[in-house]
Amino acid sequence: MSSNRFDSPLTPRRQIAVVVVAAALIGAVFAPIVYANANEPSGTVAVVEIEGPVNTALADDVENELAEVRNNGSVEAVVLKMDTGGGAPVASERMYKAVQRTSQQMPVIAAVQEISASGGYYAMAPADDIYVLPTSIVGSIGLNAPAPQPRAPVYGPSGPDKAGGNTIEGWARQQTLANTFINAMMAERGDRFELSREEVAHADVYLGTEAVQNGYADEIGSINEAIHEAATRAGMSDYNIDTRETGPEGGLPFLVRTDRQVVAIHSNDPGYGDVKPMGLAYVHWESIPHIDTIERFSGDSLPVEEAGSARTDATNATGDTAAAKGGDSS
Amino acid sequence: MNHAERLAVAFVATIAVVIVGATLVGFITADGAAPAPEIENEHFTDEELISDRTPGEADVTMSSNQPSRTILVDPGVEPTGAAPASPLALLGLGGPDVADRDIRPLANVLIENGHEVRVYTPSAGSARPGPAPGQGGEVTTQLGTELEEADAFVTFDSEYSAAEREDLESFVDGGGTVVSMTDPDEAFNQPGAAALDSTLGVTTEPGYVYNLAENDLNYQRVYAEPADGTDLTDGVDRAVFPTATPVGTNSGNAALRPIEGSQLSTTRASTDAPIVVQNGGVIKIGDADFLSPENAQRADNDVLIGNLADKLVSSGAAAPRSPAAPPTGGPSTGEPPTEAPVAGESPEATPADGAETAT
Repeated sequence: MSSNRFDSPLTPRRQIAVVVVAAALIGAVFAPIVYANANEPSGTVAVVEIEGPVNTALADDVENELAEVRNNGSVEAVVLKMDTGGGAPVASERMYKAVQRTSQQMPVIAAVQEISASGGYYAMAPADDIYVLPTSIVGSIGLNAPAPQPRAPVYGPSGPDKAGGNTIEGWARQQTLANTFINAMMAERGDRFELSREEVAHADVYLGTEAVQNGYADEIGSINEAIHEAATRAGMSDYNIDTRETGPEGGLPFLVRTDRQVVAIHSNDPGYGDVKPMGLAYVHWESIPHIDTIERFSGDSLPVEEAGSARTDATNATGDTAAAKGGDSS
Repeated sequence: MNHAERLAVAFVATIAVVIVGATLVGFITADGAAPAPEIENEHFTDEELISDRTPGEADVTMSSNQPSRTILVDPGVEPTGAAPASPLALLGLGGPDVADRDIRPLANVLIENGHEVRVYTPSAGSARPGPAPGQGGEVTTQLGTELEEADAFVTFDSEYSAAEREDLESFVDGGGTVVSMTDPDEAFNQPGAAALDSTLGVTTEPGYVYNLAENDLNYQRVYAEPADGTDLTDGVDRAVFPTATPVGTNSGNAALRPIEGSQLSTTRASTDAPIVVQNGGVIKIGDADFLSPENAQRADNDVLIGNLADKLVSSGAAAPRSPAAPPTGGPSTGEPPTEAPVAGESPEATPADGAETAT
């Protein structure tokens, strides 16, 4: 036995004490790491942002993010951060389908910030619940489109509807498009709407306070409350938050309306190629500025001393649509 | 095989076994992506979702056997050489006037039945849009001159000078038929229409009629039904008015009213205010699109257009005519001329006087 003992001035008892202390010190160093690992939240709430005009680029991103969310084992709930006045019909439908599929798999809650109207409302309708702030704006369930106009005959196309068309057929197509939207909303939330289908078809918008009364929304609450509720429904008492930004980087078009239609402007200093008419759109009309109200400013039009004259110049420059369409004014 | 070679073979064989094994295991355990859950969206496949896109057919005919009459049509074109006053001046058709095709269903049936259709196109310097004051009620305007040779007047315009309105008043008092058509947006942000309405003894309500429950492919394309069986609505079960504004009259009859469930944009309340009224020889229609070729094919619009054509040729008011001789035929003679309201006019310009001086 004595041969196994260290030849030390310390007694065996003290040797044990030193070893214990050393082990305790080393353990103390690693304990927080182990604790943190053991105590890490088991799941994640993905916050998917749906902001800005609804267009193809936004739909691409939302579809991809939600597909990733569905296949990501650590994501157990989704919150849609909504802030859009709507846009293109097909892009709205693509997001609607993506949200619908996701909500079949995990809790999905929409949290409306300033506005989620028209195509934005379409996209979030399949969510389990819609959270709004008291003065958020939701609704505008309908189609925005100019009246079909008869066109002068054109010679060359292979068929009468290839370039041109019949106004009655145009009306029918628009009505079908509107009914598609309205019917989808009635299917998703008809049991919560306090309004009839006919009243929904008015395409009105409602403030959050009114929306929770008439069924356009479910709860008054902030995005943090929505996240917490989504996590709770997924059975997570502790969770990570993973925010997914969507939409093209810096390339969001401005939606502007003219007297007859909505146009998308894809540049701060647009040429004619950057201004694209949107024949049909699910948009909340009031949230789209009229082209006459847009002032064009350039760096030298905003000197402090000449603010008054600069303002006049800028206003004059917008007197016609050429200014916003890349004209050479100002 | 020396020792080094055995080692190399063992090495390669081991790697091969591992890779092949991993591949086999991968194939065996692969079950592919989980099938996406089926989502039934019956609201997208509902057959009733698709609106009927059949344009329909029109058969505009007249029943009248009247001799040849002259119908003057004012599509609202600006005086020759003048710039358009507003791109939305009329109809919202992208131009300042009613296109030729828009009046063809009516014009063609008149022509086919032997009547003459003239189009009023004011020349530069004529009365529109500025006034051309006459003296003592004399006919001084181009419109007045052309009305002298006309039996009926169809107008899509509302901006007439005081002198032109006097000529119109004389024309009506002389037995001429006037059909005035207007759209909800025509006088939306400009003055002027009230003066013509006052001359004709009719009213136009701001706002448009809509019906979300039952309509012709759009909530603004409303159906209207005959109000009280006038000859203007013979054979008409329903007519479509694409952009209807309520109209009224001080002493005439409502000819067509919107169907039940229709509402007014300004009040959001139910409305049964008429869309077509008849006040003696004056017919006011709160829509200018219902007779376009496409709309003539909807509901019974073709019948209504035929009846309107009958109405236009029912009286012969063309000069020469005498103030003593009552206007010939038609219900337009039923209204004493003095009953027509003339707001703001001096006593010298009473309808009776106007009729006299017009001869």
